[in-house]
Amino acid sequence: MLSKKVIFTFSPQNVERPVTYQLIKKYDLWINILQAKFKPSLGGKLVLELKGEKNQIEEGLNFARQIGVGVEFLEQEVLWNEEKCIDCGACVSICPTGVLSLDKETFKLKFDYEKCIVCGNCVEACPLQAIKVTF
Amino acid sequence: MTIQRTYEEINTKIRSGKAVIVTAEEIIPIIEEKGIEKATEEIDVVTTGTFGPMCSSGAIINFGHSDPPIRMQKVWLNDVEAYAGLAAVDVYLGATQLSERQGMEYGGAHVIEDLISGKKIKLKAISRGTDCYPRREIESYITKKSINQAILFNPRNGYQNYNVAVNTSERKIYTYMGILLPDLGNASYSTSGQLSPLLNDPEFTTIGIGTRIFLGGAQGYIVWEGTQFYPQVIKDENGNTIYKGGTLAVIGDLKEMSIDYIRAATFSGYGVTLVVGIGIPIPILNSEIMKNVAVKDEDIWTEIIDYSFPHLKKPSLGRVNYRQLREGKITIQRKDIPTSPLSSYAKAREIAQKLKEEILKGEFLLQEPIQKFPKGNKFKSLLEIR
Ligand code: SF4
Ligand code: SF4
Repeated sequence: MLSKKVIFTFSPQNVERPVTYQLIKKYDLWINILQAKFKPSLGGKLVLELKGEKNQIEEGLNFARQIGVGVEFLEQEVLWNEEKCIDCGACVSICPTGVLSLDKETFKLKFDYEKCIVCGNCVEACPLQAIKVTF
Repeated sequence: MTIQRTYEEINTKIRSGKAVIVTAEEIIPIIEEKGIEKATEEIDVVTTGTFGPMCSSGAIINFGHSDPPIRMQKVWLNDVEAYAGLAAVDVYLGATQLSERQGMEYGGAHVIEDLISGKKIKLKAISRGTDCYPRREIESYITKKSINQAILFNPRNGYQNYNVAVNTSERKIYTYMGILLPDLGNASYSTSGQLSPLLNDPEFTTIGIGTRIFLGGAQGYIVWEGTQFYPQVIKDENGNTIYKGGTLAVIGDLKEMSIDYIRAATFSGYGVTLVVGIGIPIPILNSEIMKNVAVKDEDIWTEIIDYSFPHLKKPSLGRVNYRQLREGKITIQRKDIPTSPLSSYAKAREIAQKLKEEILKGEFLLQEPIQKFPKGNKFKSLLEIR
């Protein structure tokens, strides 16, 4: 099983196509929507985490490309330097996907990488420069 | 029987290893179980802690004299200017002063952190030269070992209670309360609530000039009331008491501190600040003091302030308590808003624990204030007189 994070860009022409439904149904992919921004008249953007067999992911992405959806891989990664972190929580309220949270018991920072869309908000918000985006 | 203890009695118990000490968090279930009187009988000291950004901080440094000597008139440490309008080789390095080369990435607070961790700091000083101090320029390196004194002296720390900051405008704003997203996108607050020193002794019964404290990992002292000291006790319409406005001026030996408990920070688009760890022990002299340390997050209220308003008096959007804030989201105008603490609760807890252990080991004794803070201070704004 493979896991990939991808960004789909929709145009006004294809914005109404049920792409994620097809990916699940036809290509048997497991999908987690990390971020979605749509304006029907302008198109939209979807950040997804896909899990499935390698060939199914490839075929599914080809299908998306064929109907004119822009496909990009999210290759960047966010690195959290736990040593530098003071658990101040400045980053937790600006994360759009709920990756960052303070543990209810220990009040230490929890980093749920799976949901990260590498938007960079936390990099800017961390007063200790404990978070970096790498390529 | 109502218990009364003196500082001396408590210190005698500490020296003989018999004192009972808990943190301001641990005391809460004890009081709930046993009640105020019983808890007062059993417990001698309650420790508090906070670890948050405190801009009004800095260090007094004495470099020692060079040969030939120089009367330093302008001084830079790693390109951060320190105030040199003191005697020949004394400076005051302010935490928020920015580097002349790196801007907001590095500032006085970073120099303080680097000094504490033993790093080499570049010193540059210039002077007009005098008969007794002929030298006009010096460039060298210093470390905490090479200099005479490095004294942390912070004129305003440990704010009793602080606002919750939000932003109702359409633009993201960069503040000393962190990044505030538009349209009430998030909220930030900054006190350790039930662990916070000045919320556990809100009327300054045991905290005053001369109180020995935990400061940045070393033992320090409260030397005065903090600047802008303006304690207020407000009763709101629901019968809640709000304490705010207390501050502390603190001092301690920087050379003994540890970067586990004092750190430099940069608030993006705002500037550099020092994150200071402070812990204050509260002696349980009587049950009145125990009532104060019983305070819980849900009893501590604070005001939600709109930071998009560019004037001194900013509009309030209501009140919340620390329990709500600590849960991670609050509701304003029927909208759920995620919260950020800024002040580290995990570290505050660690500091209260560490202070507790130091007292238990007999390494830290309680000091009775030699003078109480003044009452009835007024909060003055700067009037522009023409
Ligand atoms: S980059 Fe940071 S803020 Fe953005 S999604 Fe990832 S963790 Fe959240
Ligand atoms: S803002 Fe930085 S230091 Fe604070 S909790 Fe997040 S990662 Fe840690």
